[in-house]
Amino acid sequence: MSLLEISDIQGIILFNYGRLRSACYLLLQITQPAAARAWLGTLPLLSAQFDNKTADRAVNIAFTPAGLSRLGVSESQMADFAGEFLEGMTGTSHRQRILGDVGDSSPDGWHWGGPRNPQSHVLLMLFGRDDAVLASVLSEHEAALARAGLTTIAKLDTTWLPKQREHFGFRDGVSRTDIEGFHVDAKPENATAPGEFVLGYRNAYGQYTQRPLLSPDQDPLGLLQPAPDDPAKRDLGMNGSYLVFRQLRQHVEAFWKYVDEQAKRMPGPLDPNATVRLASKMIGRWPSGTPLVVAPKADDPARCDENDFFYYRSNDPHGLKCPIGAHIRRANPRDALDPEPGSDRSIEVGKRHRVLRRGRTYGPPVAESMEISDIIAAGDSGRDRGLHFICFNTQIGRQFEFIQHTWLNNPKFDGLYEDDDPLVGDRGGSHGKPGGTFTVQAEPVRRRVSGMPRFTQLLGGGYFFMPGIRAVRFLGSLR
Amino acid sequence: MPHQEALTVIAPIRPGEVEAAKGVLGTIPDHVDGWDIIPFDKVPRLHFARLAVFDEAKDLTGAAISAQLALMTNVDGPVDAHLNDLVRIASPGLDAVFGACAGYPDESQRTPATRLRFLRRYQRDAAAFYVNRQGRSVDQIQKEESLRREIGKFLDSADFSRHSPETLRKAIREFVGGRPDLKWALEPAEPPGLAWRVRNVLHLVEDTGIALVALPVAILLAPFLLSLLRSHERADVPDTSAASAESIDRLRADEDFWVHNQVIAAGCFKPGLFRQVVTTVILRTTDFACRHIYNRGTLSGLNTLHFARWVGMDDGRRMFFSSNYDGSLESYMNDFIDKAAWGLNAIFSNGDGFPRTSLLFCGGIRDEKAYKRFLPTRQVQSRVWYSAYPHLTTKNIANNAAIRAGLSGQPSADEVRVWLRRFGVGNHLPPSGLIARILDNLPWDRLCRFSK
Repeated sequence: MSLLEISDIQGIILFNYGRLRSACYLLLQITQPAAARAWLGTLPLLSAQFDNKTADRAVNIAFTPAGLSRLGVSESQMADFAGEFLEGMTGTSHRQRILGDVGDSSPDGWHWGGPRNPQSHVLLMLFGRDDAVLASVLSEHEAALARAGLTTIAKLDTTWLPKQREHFGFRDGVSRTDIEGFHVDAKPENATAPGEFVLGYRNAYGQYTQRPLLSPDQDPLGLLQPAPDDPAKRDLGMNGSYLVFRQLRQHVEAFWKYVDEQAKRMPGPLDPNATVRLASKMIGRWPSGTPLVVAPKADDPARCDENDFFYYRSNDPHGLKCPIGAHIRRANPRDALDPEPGSDRSIEVGKRHRVLRRGRTYGPPVAESMEISDIIAAGDSGRDRGLHFICFNTQIGRQFEFIQHTWLNNPKFDGLYEDDDPLVGDRGGSHGKPGGTFTVQAEPVRRRVSGMPRFTQLLGGGYFFMPGIRAVRFLGSLR
Repeated sequence: MPHQEALTVIAPIRPGEVEAAKGVLGTIPDHVDGWDIIPFDKVPRLHFARLAVFDEAKDLTGAAISAQLALMTNVDGPVDAHLNDLVRIASPGLDAVFGACAGYPDESQRTPATRLRFLRRYQRDAAAFYVNRQGRSVDQIQKEESLRREIGKFLDSADFSRHSPETLRKAIREFVGGRPDLKWALEPAEPPGLAWRVRNVLHLVEDTGIALVALPVAILLAPFLLSLLRSHERADVPDTSAASAESIDRLRADEDFWVHNQVIAAGCFKPGLFRQVVTTVILRTTDFACRHIYNRGTLSGLNTLHFARWVGMDDGRRMFFSSNYDGSLESYMNDFIDKAAWGLNAIFSNGDGFPRTSLLFCGGIRDEKAYKRFLPTRQVQSRVWYSAYPHLTTKNIANNAAIRAGLSGQPSADEVRVWLRRFGVGNHLPPSGLIARILDNLPWDRLCRFSK
């Protein structure tokens, strides 16, 4: 097993930058390729080999296919990038269909990345320890961008919410996707092959994912490394990854209003916590982050960091603790799916559909306390808030798109009938039939709610390629 | 209950009329909500139907193969009655579709009898045919879904949380018994007809007999056959070309309108006597396995397949495979790689250009990169596609059947609890047969490490 070359991998791929609480993302257009290349040659990029204690800022960069072409990557070199990346998130009606980007999430209404928005070439990600540092990073870069002829198409701000919560009020980012050989403390059943997330390494099938490999004469300065699977070629993909970006607006008030109404309507004895209980069933975790599999009856904030659980192996094969259709059980079914749920094979197959999540929330919190009762009381006053969902993977079709279509949007997930993901599902749009039911498995028999509206709306998105740092310098050297 | 069959009609298209034929058919997105030309939704006992054009091609010797039009259906048997239904209900449609084919009766000659004669003339038997579960008619599938829906509404209507499982089952039975439109469900479903079951047993006996005779010979010759197989496999030339982005997009554009999807793949058989023999044995074994081993909802570990068929064409030079399955093509391909590789390798590795296998069962599909690149090069576009229940997965159908079955009989307390869970989620499938389970659970990865 080859170890990740962390000094050449951009930091955000492997880290959340949890200490750099301020961040913004700039979408840029290249107007003067030569000036943009010169800028790339000197851009201070933070690699994954950084000192977490002292680093107070970070800059990372990714490109769209149009951006790479504009910089001078040739057509034949472009052809070996992933098809999904080349076509783009909005590239075909089929892709829009499977991702559920229809109705009011259709790309026609997006704020950026859609067919009606200006074409973006570069995604520049800026991070700072606090707002003051971010402001200084931003002002330095804005000056440099202007000199390099890079026009800012959109500036996407982020908000660091208290208690690591997302806008609905639940603790997020508890589950970590472990990488073999990188997270040395990872248990083997949790660790995924590095090639699933970083190009130039073996993936979960023991293969090297396709990526552009150049002949040495295409890299006259010798900036790129030989490809491990074809040492005569220079590896443009090595230490790079595909970045999936989706700006998900969250309708906080609609979410809690629906859950509250349904919880009160559900048959059974009156339960003052019914609303939070039902919402937690939908998510699979309590607001504190504690998984229902671990604490099925009531929240237990002491166990909020717990992520070491399965479904079959943790004695919840039938969803009596964490419902089959809960968000976290869909997004990462662990050992719950065929072949033979609970088996090593089931876990192995699941590992072929993982991503590294690196997104951040944006917009003001509904209630500063992030307590559910305050969130429900406050309403959302129609402000735009949500999640800049960002994830990294090397095979967009088998990883991000598969999770989105086969697991989250699928009303038939694991033997269900009309249940798409209660939180982010497209209500069946991607499968030709209304979803919007959520079933709470129970004894003697299930309860369910239906007619659920969509709680998230897509406002922008795109597929980007985040190269290794050497590859960024190579792009800067093109002519 | 009737058994299920597959009808395949493949007829050559007259030179110069291929584009016109395609024009009549359109493409799948054109008729997601139905197709007027042949109203498949009005054809009784029909599960699935599709129409496809096989473009002009060349075989491995370079000889031309003319373009052909194929009609494929899955029906509650017998097929003869289905052919009559097609002619009776869809004569104008058949004329419009097959009018471009050589041998279709001239306009002045078109009668139900001549149309029927045409369909019979170009009818092809499947070399192997898979059905998720024999004996479930369209009518049963649709009625059992409405049964589940109605019981679902009943369960929503009141608070049953304090019921014991037994009293709740009793309440459900009373609800069903009180509904004239659902009362039928208190009786268990009938198995396939006696004639079919007798034929099935005879088939089992016949093929087992052949196997018993052939097996000692095969074992004696094993070292020789295996080395011959290995030398053929080493000499194979995998096709590493890729389909164009445009053709892949065209195929994708037809997918994911419903929960179901479909695929057709066609290719030439590998040449030579040895491969011919292997292919014949494998297809016969596949058909046998579909009937007698994988007859409870899974095929080589794959449980999303409704129907599949393998049909030889062009005087044995080519074969096509077609299936109706749940989920996206991406998930289907992943299932092939992750769950069903050994069995599918044995079948498909006899096709020219297939990713290199090792001892028939190993390698091949397990090479994700090669396999996902190869499949689109062999895919054939289905132009018209019909499903009688596009929103029911194989798991849904099996669960609905189990819900109905649980209404009758005298289940134990445990069985009642398991049965009641079926209203919450239908992922508890009946187990495969013993031999299927043994085959699926062989440590193929470890065995395959020795195959090289």
